[in-house]
Amino acid sequence: MNSVEGLVTQIQGLSSTASDVSVLQNLLKQADESLHAESTRLLPFLDQLDPSKHSLGYLYFIEACTAGPVTKEQASTFALIIARLISSCVADQIRLAPDKFISVCKRFKDQVLLLEEPLRGVAPMLTAIRKLQSSTEHLTALHPEFLLLCLLAKCYKTGLSILEEDIFEVDQPRDLFLYCYYGGMICVGQKRFQKALELLHNVVTAPMSTINAIAVEAYKKYILVSLIHHGQFSTSLPKYAASVAQRNLKNLCQPYVELANSYNNGKVADLETYVQANEEKFESDNNLGLVKQVISSMYKRNIQRLTQTYLTLSLHDIASTVQLNSPKEAEMHVLQMIQDGEIYATINQKDGMVRFLEDPEQYKTCDMIERIDSSIQRLMTLSKKLTSMDELMSCDPLYLAKAGRERQRLDFDDFDTVPQRYNM
Amino acid sequence: MDFSVLNGALASKSFDRIADICDNLMLQVAAEGVAFQDEWPFAIHLLGHIYVDDINSARFLWKSIPAAIKESQPELVAAWKIGQKLWTRDHAGVYDAIRGFDWSQETQVLVASFSELYTKRMFGLLLSAYSTISIQDAAQFLGMSEDDATNYVLRQGWTVDPASQMLTVKKQAIVREQKLDPGKLQCLTEYVFHLEH
Repeated sequence: MNSVEGLVTQIQGLSSTASDVSVLQNLLKQADESLHAESTRLLPFLDQLDPSKHSLGYLYFIEACTAGPVTKEQASTFALIIARLISSCVADQIRLAPDKFISVCKRFKDQVLLLEEPLRGVAPMLTAIRKLQSSTEHLTALHPEFLLLCLLAKCYKTGLSILEEDIFEVDQPRDLFLYCYYGGMICVGQKRFQKALELLHNVVTAPMSTINAIAVEAYKKYILVSLIHHGQFSTSLPKYAASVAQRNLKNLCQPYVELANSYNNGKVADLETYVQANEEKFESDNNLGLVKQVISSMYKRNIQRLTQTYLTLSLHDIASTVQLNSPKEAEMHVLQMIQDGEIYATINQKDGMVRFLEDPEQYKTCDMIERIDSSIQRLMTLSKKLTSMDELMSCDPLYLAKAGRERQRLDFDDFDTVPQRYNM
Repeated sequence: MDFSVLNGALASKSFDRIADICDNLMLQVAAEGVAFQDEWPFAIHLLGHIYVDDINSARFLWKSIPAAIKESQPELVAAWKIGQKLWTRDHAGVYDAIRGFDWSQETQVLVASFSELYTKRMFGLLLSAYSTISIQDAAQFLGMSEDDATNYVLRQGWTVDPASQMLTVKKQAIVREQKLDPGKLQCLTEYVFHLEH
């Protein structure tokens, strides 16, 4: 008992300067076991600590408190305490114990889910990410938790905010898999199919030594989104994809690959029959909504195809070629596509004709220059990053040792001893 | 709950900010564990999303509202009806949904402003998508009587053919500011430098 009280005093005394805090950290590490042993009696002591000043000590206490299973009532109390800790804690202090902070935040997520109030966790989890990460390029273990909460609370728009950031640093592969998978689902919900494809593509092509469930589910969605967005799907993965992914994904997602094959034939009726026959499978994967969007995207794709062949076409002909019931229905489809910027055309109601046009973009407006400019900037940053990573790799002792071993098997002259710079 | 920012935005008619304000406030109060749902201005929040043409967010908000609240707030249901019509792109239905409810004082201005904005959006759509269109259809898109719609588009330089009851669309030349910042030259120099090194 005394030890806990003593610890509280020490936390109060050693929380101001950086050197004090590092001393405190050692004390807390040593006391961690006894804190866990006393976990049931710790809660009242939290009143003596101020999370905005004694963040590190507070973190150790709350971590010990929440280590065991919690009831619903306890969850409500803890969720409130942890939310306050997250919003008021000092980032520098909690970053000294990132593992503790992550596990407290994960328990916080479990608690709000136990209370069936995922919305409670959204804002604190975003704050937690910001406090934990060293820069926006750093993917923390809390990113997927945040996105999961956004999905469950239906705050898709809030989830988008972190998906815009380019990630270059990952702690655990699993974080990246889940981040991209949940992120893909959020983008699908907001109909940002391009971004969704990019994220899902990252999952299915990520390095993996064994196949995993996240990749399989991501591949299913990847097929569907690819059909919706591009109107086509190619089953071959890029060469850099892991070989287990290349070998297994297709077999594990058979109904989806067949759906894509049926889609490629371009017949709406066939596709609908296929979907009806396999509805249960899609339903049990929670993908039926996306599958339905695939069906309606087929009209679009067929109309888009027409624009490649014809300059003008009657609404009547459009309706019959793409299997729509009436010229009016065809007009509404064309209108919707014009509204969404998917085709360029003008409808002439008087003659019942549609004239297909070229993309009017001439790439000479100021806005377009700004866009190209920012793309160049991003590419330059990326290429600089690649160069520096390449340099770092060529100085890495592990890599050099391995490359050195290989070298004996080669002729001396075959080898360039100076690592070549990678010019972009 | 502190609605002063929201009320400020409503008072100054900054309707495009409402969705963000409501979203942020909702996340804040939820994080504090406040049972906010009974007092939350769901109808305004929903209309805020609709106003900025974010039907996805409007739909997700609607889905997250408890059934009991939906049943007790007819105005919320009416607001979602607008959302539904937008979702299915039933352009004439949007105006029916707007007119089909007696909006409360707080929402009235917002709905009226949205209606005006939607007419403008639809006019822009007609402008980009049609070369000729029947008066009847144009009136439906614009949510006006046929006479009002004809007058509205005639003021924009369109012409009407009384025999066929068809309107001929007059495309508007879009004038854009084309002045380039001289700083761009500096950027170009940097790009070339980057490529050479």
